[in-house]
Amino acid sequence: MIKEVDLFGIYAPPMFAYAAAAAVIWIVLRWVLREIGFYRLVWHQALFNVALYVLVLSACISLVFR
Amino acid sequence: MAVSRTVKFVVTTFVVAGAAAAAWFAWQDYTRNPWTRDGRVHADIIEIAPDVSGAVAQVRVKDNQAVKKGDVLFTIDPERYRFALSQAEANVQGREQELEQRRRELERRTRLSTAAITVEAREQAETAVATAAAEYDQALAALNTARLNLDRTELRSPVNGFVTNLQVNAGDYATAGRALLAIVNSDSFHVAGYFEETKIRNIREGDRATVRLMGFPDEIPGHVESIARAIADRETAQTSDGLIANVNPTFSWVRLAQRVPVRIALDRVPDDIRLSAGMTATVIVTPNGGGQNRP
Repeated sequence: MIKEVDLFGIYAPPMFAYAAAAAVIWIVLRWVLREIGFYRLVWHQALFNVALYVLVLSACISLVFR
Repeated sequence: MAVSRTVKFVVTTFVVAGAAAAAWFAWQDYTRNPWTRDGRVHADIIEIAPDVSGAVAQVRVKDNQAVKKGDVLFTIDPERYRFALSQAEANVQGREQELEQRRRELERRTRLSTAAITVEAREQAETAVATAAAEYDQALAALNTARLNLDRTELRSPVNGFVTNLQVNAGDYATAGRALLAIVNSDSFHVAGYFEETKIRNIREGDRATVRLMGFPDEIPGHVESIARAIADRETAQTSDGLIANVNPTFSWVRLAQRVPVRIALDRVPDDIRLSAGMTATVIVTPNGGGQNRP
C-alpha cells in the first residue's frame, strides 16, 4: 500500500509505515530467536540484530512495490 | 556445548551480507517505482474580461456557483450601447436615403442626351452613386458593430464550470479587456504529478495511474496523458543581454533529482469527491512494460 501516513496532520512518506511494521515484526522475531536459542550461533548479537532488521524492512518494501 | 567460533562467524556474515543485498534491491524498488506524493490537481481557469466598458449592472452568479456554457454571468449597463445602436440605425437610414437620391440623379442624367449634359457630369453622378453605396455599406457595418457591442454587455460563460473567487459587484466599473472574474472549467480537471527524473524512465503515455487525494480514502483511476518536454534549467541564470550562458560557478557534491511534470488524465471521478484545483494528490503509475506493482 503506497500511502502517506498521517501523524497528527503531518503527512509522512510511506517508508515510515514500513519501518514501523518492520520494527514490530523484528521485535517478535528477536524474541522467537532467543527462545529457540538461535543466538548461540551468532557472533556479534547487535550486528546480527541490525542485519535482521534491514532484512525484514527490505522484505516489507519489496512486498509492496513488486 | 560450545559452538565453534567459525560457525558463529559464518552465520553472522551470511545474514549481514544477505541484509546488504536485500537493502540494495529494496532501495531500487522504492526509488525507481514511479510514484510521487507531490501531485497537484489542475484545471483550466478562464479569465472572463468584458468586451465593452461600462458599469456592471447586474451580477447574476454567486461565488462558487456552478455555471453551464452560455449562462449569463454579469451584465454591463447597456444604455450607452442601446443609444449607440439607435444612432447606427438612424445613420443607416440616412445613408439609404442618400443612396436613393444619388441613384435617381444618375437615372435622370443617363436619360439626357450628350447635347444636354457633359460626359463628366454623368461620370460624376455614377461616382456619387458608388460612393453613396459604399457609405451605406459602412453604415451597415457600424450597425452590426453597435449590435455586437450591445450583445456583449451580457457576459456569458464560455465553458461548463464554477465561478471562483468572485470579486465583482454591481456598480464596479468594467474596463474592456481587463479580467473581472475567473471560471474553473469543470471538464478540464487533471492531475500534474511531479516525478523525479529517475522515475521518468519507467513512465510511458497511456500507463495506468492511480490518484489519491490528501484526506480522501478513495482512489481515482486515471492514465498518463503526457510528459512535459521542458523544465527550466536552474544552473543558468538569465543575463541581461541573454546572448551568452551564465552558469552557476559551483557544482555541489549533492545532486538532487529534478522533477518533471507528468499530466495524468482522470478517467472517472467518484461522485463524493469535490475536486478543487490546487489539491495535493499522491500519484502511482503502473508501468505497462516492467514488473507490475501493487498500489
